[in-house]
Amino acid sequence: MNKKMNVFERMVLATIGHEKRQKIAIPVFSILIALIVGGVVIALLGHNPFYAFYNLLQGCGIAPKASYAGKKGMITDFMDFMDNLTPMIFAALAVAVALRSGLFNIGVSGQMLASGFLATVIVGYSSMAAPIAKPLVIIVGILTGACVGGLIGFLKYKFNINEVVSSIMLNYILEYIISFFINMYFVDPVSRQSKNVSAAARLTLTDVEIGGYKMDIPLGIILAILTVFLVRFVMNRTVLGFEMKAVGYSRTAAKYAGIKVGKNIVISMFISGALAGLAGVTYYLGYFASIQPKVLTSTGFDAIAVSLLGNNNPVGIIFSSFLITVIGKGSTYMSSASGVQQEIASVITGIILLFSACGAFVRYKTGRMRDTLKERKEEN
Amino acid sequence: MNTIIIDGLAFSLPLFIMAVGGIYSEKSGVTNLALEGLQGFGAFIGALVAVLVAEKIGGNSSLPFYLAMIFAMVGGLLFSLIHALLCIRFKADMVISGVVVNTLAMALTVFLTKQVNTSHFHAPSDKFVLGVCGKVTIPGISKIPVLGAVFTNMYPFEFVIVIIACIAWFVMYKTRFGLHLRACGENPHAVDAAGMQVGKIRLIGVMVSGALSGLGGICFAYSISANFSPSIYVGYGYLAIAAYIFGNWKILPTLGACLLFGFARSGGYKLVQILGMPSSYQDLVMILPYALTLFLLIFFSKKNRAPRALGAIYDKGAR
Repeated sequence: MNKKMNVFERMVLATIGHEKRQKIAIPVFSILIALIVGGVVIALLGHNPFYAFYNLLQGCGIAPKASYAGKKGMITDFMDFMDNLTPMIFAALAVAVALRSGLFNIGVSGQMLASGFLATVIVGYSSMAAPIAKPLVIIVGILTGACVGGLIGFLKYKFNINEVVSSIMLNYILEYIISFFINMYFVDPVSRQSKNVSAAARLTLTDVEIGGYKMDIPLGIILAILTVFLVRFVMNRTVLGFEMKAVGYSRTAAKYAGIKVGKNIVISMFISGALAGLAGVTYYLGYFASIQPKVLTSTGFDAIAVSLLGNNNPVGIIFSSFLITVIGKGSTYMSSASGVQQEIASVITGIILLFSACGAFVRYKTGRMRDTLKERKEEN
Repeated sequence: MNTIIIDGLAFSLPLFIMAVGGIYSEKSGVTNLALEGLQGFGAFIGALVAVLVAEKIGGNSSLPFYLAMIFAMVGGLLFSLIHALLCIRFKADMVISGVVVNTLAMALTVFLTKQVNTSHFHAPSDKFVLGVCGKVTIPGISKIPVLGAVFTNMYPFEFVIVIIACIAWFVMYKTRFGLHLRACGENPHAVDAAGMQVGKIRLIGVMVSGALSGLGGICFAYSISANFSPSIYVGYGYLAIAAYIFGNWKILPTLGACLLFGFARSGGYKLVQILGMPSSYQDLVMILPYALTLFLLIFFSKKNRAPRALGAIYDKGAR
């Protein structure tokens, strides 16, 4: 028995127990478990799980589909996927920045909606030329998101309102107010959504023909990658980033060290909101061109999973958002190709989240295991 | 006037019972953002049992309704074990765990609803149709002006909620267990020193919150929406959280907060009707409970005192 346990323990330590590799090993492990669970469910429903997962890749333009419509190809799907990926990266960065200083920004969806709506109304319905309209959309998005985020931070700092409660309340308030305005003034009677924004204001170039293939080119993705490294720089190399980290670890210790905790809370929510605003404009004026009333996008909530999975590390977020978007976006094609319910995608995302939440426990347990193993070796 | 009271009560009592569950969990020191997911999952299990039973026996019997209530509590309780496991055993961050439970509950219930509908009922639908449960009017007292409206057109679940809430109040404030529970949220080390197991008491707290949230969820499914569908996730759980924070983690003030939300909502709807405004104005009315919450929290949050050990993972070794 003891021998058997030893082998098991060694296996655990070798895979997810290695202290330095743990940062990558634990997320990879949660993904694997989630995929296995999802695969078993798909198999139980009488479908081939490997085919279903392959469908996920096909739907995102990473693997070739059997047939394509005229002038469409893998690159078309892939560009569409990138278009979907852009807001996810921004949203996950927003969650990560807030988490760095110990705040939980669950209002990303609301901030996205607010900035998308204001940018739509101010720029999207005007007749500005593209070189003015596109930067203006981004600026409006950043400012709106930052204001909503900053408000949540201010309420926390000034009135001690839990940021989770206030951001959820703001989510609902924004959702209903904006749906009211859309239904009253900006509704398209056919699609029941807001009227489409002008092509000049959209952050995605639609139907561009390159090499015989038609595709949508997302301009935001370049900005997203740049922002990832900017956020990384601010977090790791500046005083502000250090102070935010200190506040996140311990508010009392940070206060003792002379850091203005209240100011820091507001600033980090401000930055987080600005990033959410960027997510909003790339979503509502990029991936889509209109806003559906009474619906909060799930991107803001999936972003929490993405951020956790990427260890709140900006570079990790690129990889995790890639994965989660593959699962989310590919599921549409999967349900049509192999007949599995599309919702299985969010179940898999949920399970990934579940296991990443246990990360701290795994770190603690494997640390103990290492210690006992060391002791045993010394005894022998 | 009467409809405001009737609709208001039907909205605020399920909210109240969920908030009571939340108080049990938070008083024991476990932050519970999972109420939203727990109510949804409980309602899902209850609705599933109800439609299956209704299919078997048919007719207009109210048996499915009562079974649904029991199974909703069981379902919520079982699902809350995930939260308990993560927070108590696995020492995960309680806020993150709550969000995880919510996400998982939302994904699972939507997926399973569709799956059951296609494979069992052969209809591609994302909801279980439940209908509205029968209403009762108590003869005699309902004739009293204004106050009588409370006893008119009552949903049967309102009695159940009132009874359970009374029991919950008694257990929390008048029994030895309630004292232990509250102590766990204030000073878990003292509880441990007195020979009680902190983890066990917290586990019970979370389980109670799961069961009561499930009950609240099925009540919403049987009254306001008349079905179980993804539209159950419109933030009832978060409203309940706001209610007990506003009620300072005490059961009676929380009832007041819930009644305020309920009457604000039904009053707003009535106002839109009376003024004869187009239906898109209802969106503005829907804001009322949320805006009111935020507004009131601004005034009351400073004075509020959360349980001292709330959100802190209990570590025996820490001093």
